[in-house]
Amino acid sequence: MAKELIRLSDCTMSFDGEVVLDGINLYINDEEFLTLLGPSGCGKTTTLRIIGGFLTPTSGDVLFDGVRINSVPPHKRTINTVFQKYALFPHLNVYENIAFGLRIPKTDASGHKARLPEGEIDQRVMEMLEIVNLRGFEKRRITQLSGGQQQRVAIARALVNRPRVLLLDEPLGALDLKLRKDMQNELKRIQKAMGITFIYVTHDQEEALAMSDTVVVMDGGKIQQIGTPEDIYNEPKNAFVADFIGESNILDGIMRQDGVVELFNRRFQCLDKGFEKDEAVDVVIRPEDIDIVPEDQGQLRGTVTSVTFKGMQYDIIVDFYGFKWLIQTTDLSPVGSRIGIKIDPDGIHVMRKSQYSGMFGDYSSYSEEYEEISDANYGPEGEGSGDEE
Amino acid sequence: MRKTNRAGSRLLIGLVFLFLYAPIILLIIFSFNAGDSSAVWKGFSLDWYGRLFRNRLIMESVYTTLLVSLLATVIATAAGTFAAIGLYSLGRKRREALLTVNNIPMINADIVTGVSLCLFFVAFFQGWGSFARWFNSVQSAVELPERLVLGFTTLLLAHVAFNIPYVILNVAPKLRQMDRNPMDAAQDLGCTWMGAFWKVMLPEIKPGIVSGALIAFTMSIDDFIISYFTAGSSSSTLAMAIYGMTKKRVTPEINAISTLLFLSVLVLLVLSNLKEVRQEARERLGAARKPSGLERARQRFSEPRYLWVRRGLAAALACGFIGVVGFLSYVTGSRPVVNVCSWGEYIDPALIDQFEEETGIRVNYQTAESNETLYSLLKSGGADYDVIVPSDYMIGRLIAEDMLEPLDYSQIPNYGLIEDRFKNLPFDPDNQYTVPYTWGTLGIIYNANAVEEEITSWGALYDDRHAGEVLLINNSRDAIGEALFYLGYSVNTTDPAEIRQAYELVAGANRRGVFQGRVMDEIFQKMEGGNAAIATYYAGDYLSMVDNQAEGVDLAFVVPEEGSNWFVDAMCMLKDAPHQREAHMWMNFIASTEANLANMDYIWYASPNGKALELYPEWYEEEYGEPLDMELYQIMAAPAEVLERCTMYQNLDAGTLALYNDLWTELGI
Amino acid sequence: MRNKLSWFAVPYVAWMALMVVIPILIMVVYAFTTAQFQGTLENFSEMGAYTSVFLRSFRLALVATLICLLIGYPVSYWMAREGAGFQRVAMALIMLPMWMNFLLRTYSWMSILENNGLLNQFFRAIGLLELLGVDYLPMIGTPGAVVLGMVYNYLPFMILPVYSVIVKLDHSLLEAARDLGADSALVFRKVILPLSLPGVLSGVTMVFVPSVSTFAISRLLGGGTQMMLGDLIELQFLGGSYDPHLGAAISMVMMAIVVACMVVMNRFGEGEGEAALL
Repeated sequence: MAKELIRLSDCTMSFDGEVVLDGINLYINDEEFLTLLGPSGCGKTTTLRIIGGFLTPTSGDVLFDGVRINSVPPHKRTINTVFQKYALFPHLNVYENIAFGLRIPKTDASGHKARLPEGEIDQRVMEMLEIVNLRGFEKRRITQLSGGQQQRVAIARALVNRPRVLLLDEPLGALDLKLRKDMQNELKRIQKAMGITFIYVTHDQEEALAMSDTVVVMDGGKIQQIGTPEDIYNEPKNAFVADFIGESNILDGIMRQDGVVELFNRRFQCLDKGFEKDEAVDVVIRPEDIDIVPEDQGQLRGTVTSVTFKGMQYDIIVDFYGFKWLIQTTDLSPVGSRIGIKIDPDGIHVMRKSQYSGMFGDYSSYSEEYEEISDANYGPEGEGSGDEE
Repeated sequence: MRKTNRAGSRLLIGLVFLFLYAPIILLIIFSFNAGDSSAVWKGFSLDWYGRLFRNRLIMESVYTTLLVSLLATVIATAAGTFAAIGLYSLGRKRREALLTVNNIPMINADIVTGVSLCLFFVAFFQGWGSFARWFNSVQSAVELPERLVLGFTTLLLAHVAFNIPYVILNVAPKLRQMDRNPMDAAQDLGCTWMGAFWKVMLPEIKPGIVSGALIAFTMSIDDFIISYFTAGSSSSTLAMAIYGMTKKRVTPEINAISTLLFLSVLVLLVLSNLKEVRQEARERLGAARKPSGLERARQRFSEPRYLWVRRGLAAALACGFIGVVGFLSYVTGSRPVVNVCSWGEYIDPALIDQFEEETGIRVNYQTAESNETLYSLLKSGGADYDVIVPSDYMIGRLIAEDMLEPLDYSQIPNYGLIEDRFKNLPFDPDNQYTVPYTWGTLGIIYNANAVEEEITSWGALYDDRHAGEVLLINNSRDAIGEALFYLGYSVNTTDPAEIRQAYELVAGANRRGVFQGRVMDEIFQKMEGGNAAIATYYAGDYLSMVDNQAEGVDLAFVVPEEGSNWFVDAMCMLKDAPHQREAHMWMNFIASTEANLANMDYIWYASPNGKALELYPEWYEEEYGEPLDMELYQIMAAPAEVLERCTMYQNLDAGTLALYNDLWTELGI
Repeated sequence: MRNKLSWFAVPYVAWMALMVVIPILIMVVYAFTTAQFQGTLENFSEMGAYTSVFLRSFRLALVATLICLLIGYPVSYWMAREGAGFQRVAMALIMLPMWMNFLLRTYSWMSILENNGLLNQFFRAIGLLELLGVDYLPMIGTPGAVVLGMVYNYLPFMILPVYSVIVKLDHSLLEAARDLGADSALVFRKVILPLSLPGVLSGVTMVFVPSVSTFAISRLLGGGTQMMLGDLIELQFLGGSYDPHLGAAISMVMMAIVVACMVVMNRFGEGEGEAALL
């Protein structure tokens, strides 16, 4: 259906001998909403800057509409960017910020420099202000705007140039949660209305799943998985993706034969095929795919060590043979009680071993702040790629 | 493309640095010059560095500069930091109003700040004087000083005043960025408010305080103009000493001290930069590298158990500093003192040392540029002198304005050695106020190699053939007087028409570009270096120029045929001088034959002491082992036939003086 | 906490009143009185005679400021583009001369520019003087020498504020401009230049004010022939003609003109953010 617009083929980027992008292969379709997702330092912003033209890859090609554009400077690309902290011009008001790109003389086919007539500039700026709901703010100074309003100006400023592609670098990072949710819908609406490609960078997996047509999960300068949000969630390719997207219990298993995986010396039915016999694998079991049953009926038996009420469900930590699982259930099982569990075959997802195997332990240190802690663990920019060497 | 671009920009940055550093490098090079010129290289020597430490004027001014800068920095940093904190807890409106006032000293021209502070101090002193007189008259328990003058205190106050805004400017941004929560957190954790202030707020704004202090210190060290107007006479900073010298001849000792100061700052900068660079390198390499011996020592030293060592060291340093300051102020302060104001290079410095040794009285020796400048200094209340050495006509004016104190000649037995022809002169007819110091003639000094004919007339000064080669003397009395001589009028005329005609002669030449400049003591350096061909100055100064003339320069001196000025400079005591006994002792010492001989030999101005004058050729031969060039002796002590055609200046009436002033300013503009 | 801290401001306010406001008021009083402290406007009416000094001062200071800007801006701009190490060294090198007294540095220029100075000696050595048929090139005592002295002494005051503004420019703004289609020249004109204007303004102030009021530089390099406002004021206080009332009046007028210039300039650059002094 969709036509390919941008292709990165075997792009590698290194700074001072430090590789931050390692052989990226990626294509992006026209009118697609694609998200680059990963922890900080994973290379997602570098990828974006290569597409924007702010960086030239050390090796590999960038193709736009089939044409190699490696060394085309940013101002000659029909791509615009919404910067992380908006990068609005403090010396210009809202109107002039949006009109900035329009006021720049364009070279037409005959090599003639031409300026847009004032009337057209005005019309397009006003149109954009309408789209981002900022009518009446044109004379405001940038410093007089709230974060959300600045965000809209930044989007308007980029879109008014009618780019083929809009790059967004963590555009919602500085907004509070409620505003963020609104802007997510807003962005999705604008993308649909304008019919252009959005390439979106975020480290927030929920945001990525909610907005994207395609999600690219990155870590350590490499693409870990490309797929629709459903694919990424349900069929993670490796332990990293499984852990990064949503909650998951990641266990060591052995593939005894097609459709049978062994965990804790017990065999479970599953739907996965194509592994070697007796191959060591990683097994992902999402907490919501586990059913609690009376102890004697369970495939596994364990003790509840902690229960947290989460509104829609309880988060229960259960100790099975010394390995702590997270289970999400609507039924309360008190701490200390013995329970059994049952897992349906489609609840078990088997992955090949990867460099990430064994990196994500069990839930023994689980607390309510788990999410924040896991986010913080990814450390500052650059560290992730450094570890790889 | 981009690479060449960068190379080009670097080249231009390099050129700018060359522009900035060329004069500095030159200064440093000439601090190692064997000769005392700042343009002619005479070989390598470290002589000036040795002499530097023996030059009291320079060492004292360096001490004053460092002391004022340090004290002003410490005070201004503390005060500015608290003020900034205070300002930031005020409402926005009031804060901004105050910050505007805070900016005044920074935006205002230095000279306006200096002048307004000077006027303020003087007004305050006058107010204080009348208060103290009233206070002392109504009670006798406490005696308040009635006379305050500009000095170290006012200098310090002025420096603090212009430093505080810089500190505030540097601290304010840190306060603005500062997160207020940690202050609350510290108090929540049990700190008192004061404790939280010391432990949380100060460390937070410390970078701002440090950079503020640095800038304040730099500004203090570099300041000249504000110091110039507020320091008065008794303390001069290095900058003021240099300014005094730039008029005559900057001795290479100044180059030496500047080189030393410059190099020490350079070393500090390099060290701090190296430290930063090394720290960065260490961070990049991680902790894997073994620490060097020095670093290990430093690490050990920073262990808690060495805390007392560090504290002790800091305390010892502080005590040492206070001790040095105290010792120096004891040395400079507690002894009896006499404040003398004279002209540049107008005394053999050995005499000062000798007097100090013999009497234990410290001599605070200052110089003024000209009689008129001295008069301004006295009038503006900036002067705290006991003894001054003005010229004849100025003495007349000072007597007329009741600014001098009659002398007690019984305390000056050496007065009897002064030749009678220098006594009871018209400016002091009954000789109540003066002890003559030197005498001499005004004449034309010219470079015989740069002028075709022998010069005999004042007319050479106004001759277009010498355009751009003539230096006009920068004082109204001499400059207009020369023209009056040339025109054949009396040099003491009060006829405005004659004076105006003389002025027109000078102004016309000025318009035609005959004069290269209007200078006083700059004449030395200009004539010696062959940078100008003709100038008028005093006989004695000619002789010291001859001594220093550069290669290819052949200076000659003539008292023009139309006649010239002969002058007497005499020591007087200012009205209500605070150290009258010491002043008399000084005058008596200087009037002695030995002192006159030494002085004559050093400054080449003729002595009024008859015996000294007579003995000099003999004394010279004994001292240097060669006979004195009698031609030079005749120039120094003009014989009767020359003196015959010379006239002494007399004090003029107020109207004529005002005319002189107006014409003089008119010439300049 | 706020109230407790605001007490810190009290001694400061008193100090400012005493050491900044009152001295200026006293100066104003002097300007409007005679030597006997009777009110008069004579000090101002007399000033007409000094119009040429005012004009010369403002002309020379303006030229010096322009030259400083023309040299200082590109240097700051290029410096800001260099690596951190280069910048640190360059900044240190620019600050360093301030530690050698400006009078000395100016004096050093004297020995370079004299008729028989190093530069003329150099010209003589390379035969330039012979070529032109003169004994020397007159440099000292000319307005050019005074301007050179001003540029030399105050160039760092232009570079420092301009540099500190440019180096703090948010790099993403430049990227945003390029992203929106501006080439390097346009990025400079439409973003860097307007955003560095506060630095330029404070640089201009910091060069112009000391230039217009200098007296040492014109004394040393102008040889006394290039009388400037500073010389005129100094002449009235500590110089040859003693008249502090006239001196105060001249100072006041100078101050007023400078302030007026600055107000106009700041209006011109209004809203470009706070002027970044130093």
